[in-house]
Parts: sequence; C-alpha cells; structure tokens
Amino acid sequence: MKSISLYEERASFVHDVDPITKLWYILFAILIPIILPSFTISFLFVGISLVLLLAAQVIRKTIPVFGFVFLILITVVIIQGMFKPENETVLFQIGPLTMYKEGLLYALTITLRVINIIGAFMILILTTKPSDLVESLVRKGMSPRIGYVISSVFQIIPEMMSSMGTIMDAQRARGMETEGNLLVRIKAFLPLLGPVVLGSLINTKERAMALEVRGFNSQVPKTYLYEEKKYRYSRALQIAMLLLTVTALAWRIFL
Amino acid sequence: MIKVSNLSFSYGKGTPLLSGINLEFDQRSTAIIGQNGAGKTTFVKLLKGLLKADEGEVTIQDRDIKTETAAELAKTIGLVFQNPNDQIFKRSVLDEVMFGPLNIKLDKARAREYAFQALKMVELDDKLESNPHDLSLSEKKLLCIASIVAMDPDIIILDEPTIAQDHSGKEKIRQIIKTLKDRNKLVMTIIHDMDFVAENFERTIVFNEGRVLLDGDTRQVFSQKEMLEKANVEPPGITQLAEKLGFKDTILTVEEFINMK
Repeated sequence: MKSISLYEERASFVHDVDPITKLWYILFAILIPIILPSFTISFLFVGISLVLLLAAQVIRKTIPVFGFVFLILITVVIIQGMFKPENETVLFQIGPLTMYKEGLLYALTITLRVINIIGAFMILILTTKPSDLVESLVRKGMSPRIGYVISSVFQIIPEMMSSMGTIMDAQRARGMETEGNLLVRIKAFLPLLGPVVLGSLINTKERAMALEVRGFNSQVPKTYLYEEKKYRYSRALQIAMLLLTVTALAWRIFL
Repeated sequence: MIKVSNLSFSYGKGTPLLSGINLEFDQRSTAIIGQNGAGKTTFVKLLKGLLKADEGEVTIQDRDIKTETAAELAKTIGLVFQNPNDQIFKRSVLDEVMFGPLNIKLDKARAREYAFQALKMVELDDKLESNPHDLSLSEKKLLCIASIVAMDPDIIILDEPTIAQDHSGKEKIRQIIKTLKDRNKLVMTIIHDMDFVAENFERTIVFNEGRVLLDGDTRQVFSQKEMLEKANVEPPGITQLAEKLGFKDTILTVEEFINMK
C-alpha cells in the first residue's frame, strides 16, 4: 500500500535527532526572525534549514513543495510590488507596470518567512516517521486517543485510496466505463462514493471494536510499541535554542 | 479461447511480477494456484484488461485486448473479485445484479430477465428486494457471482470463490461451476482450496514467482509432488493420504479413493 507519509529513510544525523527537538527547531526558526526582523537573520535561518535538509539527503524531495510555494509567492511579489499602499520609490518599469521598492521589500520579507517556515517543517516531515512523532508527543503527555487519531489517518487514507482502486476495478469489470472524458470520469466517480464511505464506516466500527478488545481504553499506564528515540545532544540543542530565543527577546527589548 | 504470448508485467519500474508467460486456454475449466504473491491475481487482471502488459500480447477470441478497455471486455470476460464488499454498489439485490447487464447496454427487460436467472442459479431469487449489505458474507459472494453471470460473458473468472463458504455454500458454487461448464463457458478460478480444485477443475496451472511452473490436467499436476513443494503448494488431503498409503495412481477425490480399495 502506498504511504501518504513523506518520510524518507536515510542515514544522517538529522534523522537521528528526536522528533521533539525538531519541533523545538520549528518554533525556534519561526520565532527568531519575528523577534529580530532583519533580512540577515531570515537569510541565516533559511540557510540553516537548507543545510540541514542537504545533510539529511532529502533536499530533492523538497523541490516540488518549494516549487508550489514559489508559484504562490510570485503572485505576492507582483501584487505587493505594484499595489502596496505605501509604495513610493519606483524601482523599474515594464511597459505600463511599475514596481516599487517598498512593496518588493515587503514581499521579500513575506517570502523569506514562508520559505523559512516551510524549510523548518520539511526537516521534521521528511526525516521523522509519523509514528515516532506521535509516540514522542504521547510520551510528553498528549492523550493516546489523539495520538491514535493522528497515526490512524496515515493508515486509513492509503487504505481508502487502495479500496477506491479496487472498487473502480470492480466497476470496470462489470462494464462501467471509467476511462475517457471528464463527464465519463465524473459519472464513474459518483457510484464509488457509496462503497468507499460505507466500507470506511464498517472498517472504523471494526477498528474501534478491535481497539476495545485490546484494552485501548484501559486506565493503567500504557507501554510503548517502539523504543524511545533519543539523541545524545537533544538536551543541549533544546537549551541552546531556548537561550538564543531569550537572548533575542532581550536584544529586541533592551537594545 | 484465450492466447497469452510472452506476457510480462511489473508494477512501476521494479522487478517484473510476471515474465515470459505463454498460455492457451480452451474450454476446460481451469484453476490457477500458487502461493500468495506468485502473480495469479495480476495475471487475471491482465486478462480482464484491468492492467496493461509491459510486453507480450493477450488475444481473447482472436481479438487483441490491448486496444480495448476493461469495460468493453466485460461482455466477453467477467471477473468476480475476492472481497464482495468492494463490488456492491446498489441498494437492492436485483438492482445490484442488473448493474452489469445495463452497463453493457442490454435493455431493461432483458437485463431483468438475465439478473433473475442468475439469482435463481445462486439461490438468491427469494431476496430480490433485500439490501445487499444485509446479506451474509457467503451470500454476498454468491451475489457477486450472479452479478457477473447475469452479463453472460463467455469467460468467467472467480477469485477465491470458496472463501467464507460453509459446506452448503461450496456445494452451491460447485453446482454453479458445473452449470456454467454445461453452458460452454470457460470457468477459471484463483484458489487456495486444493480439495475444491481436485474435485471441480479439469486443468490446473501452478504459478511460482511470476512464472508458470506447472500446467496440465489436474491429476497430472497433483502428481508432481516435488514441483508443487517448490511452489509451496500442498496437494489435496486425499491425494496425500493415498500417496502415503502407497497408492500408485494420483487420487483426487474421496470417491476415487474408496473405489481404489
């Protein structure tokens, strides 16, 4: 079954870092450029994220994501560059279109922030198994029920996709045309919904019963399926990130 | 009826799941056996046009199926899937069975007539207005067989027909296969129930790691103990008992066993 997780198995120190530290990094990478809003800081964090993605050997996997994000950011650059109310200084003109310095700088700020956030999240998503992330959060106090809901999404969606494929095959086997123009495809899609939804409901009911008979709601402390992922320098990294955030705050307030 | 030449198939760019398959199917009822992952289901999906071969060719009744969609092939070849829950679309048993005939453009009266006959064959004609989802798993399986039979294709493939069937269910399926054979249909099955194969199928093909390991009359195939072991297939219980008792001939059924004594 095809997984919906973007996790990429590689041997790198970024993969070895525990999920909680990676969550800390996301928060850190988002907060610092907000606290210290300079281009240098933003570029620095984009650089750190890219270096980490390179070290994790997953940079290729980020190309489609960044490609999609750039597509949206281009519209931000065009709109802000031309129409921001504070625009005063003309930078260049292309025919009747005028680009302004203020708008472009603002668009650059937004672009850097978005790339920074996406980069930080990609480090977590591409180098962490969803099950490891959920289990780490449960160990930190998140309800096992919520943990199960999150991890079950990673199982249920591929199951539904696979069952949609089988149901579509069954329809084709019984003479229903599913290949062809848009209308034919829409016509074939509608009868799919019944068995897919019904099948999912039946599966959910059976899954709930299976969980129940295996003591999911038992009140005794739970043990974990996987060994806790520990990284030697996790504590040091977390403390360093906390100290840097406090320093950045102090810098912003007092200097 | 079906000719398969040099057929190869792989999912994606990986190792071929099927390679170099050359087979010809005549009117004889045929069982395809082999361990899980041997390529049986993929092979029948290729015959049905649900998958397209990487290499090779499949001709059904002298038509190359490459240019036809699975839906177009539905008039000629029917496939009953393993899990009935994946192939039930309608809210009444009769509508469910009429779904296929209407798709292949039979008029409503004929579709109804064919559906009724098929339901009679599987003994569900007293449940025409029932919701298919209220049927037992065994009945759902029979309903799915009726849904294909009602389309009157010349070739019918049953994927694991005996799953979830008790003795009487198996008897019904045995009767259905016999009736279809009497109507000159080519009945094929993918199955793990070797007793059922021995009792009901004239020809057996053993798949192993994407290739045809054995092909021949069922008796001849079940006599090849070492080859079957290679494919992780056990001969029927009665065949093994007879062999252990020192019978020279390959025994396929209890009746044969008794008569040999």
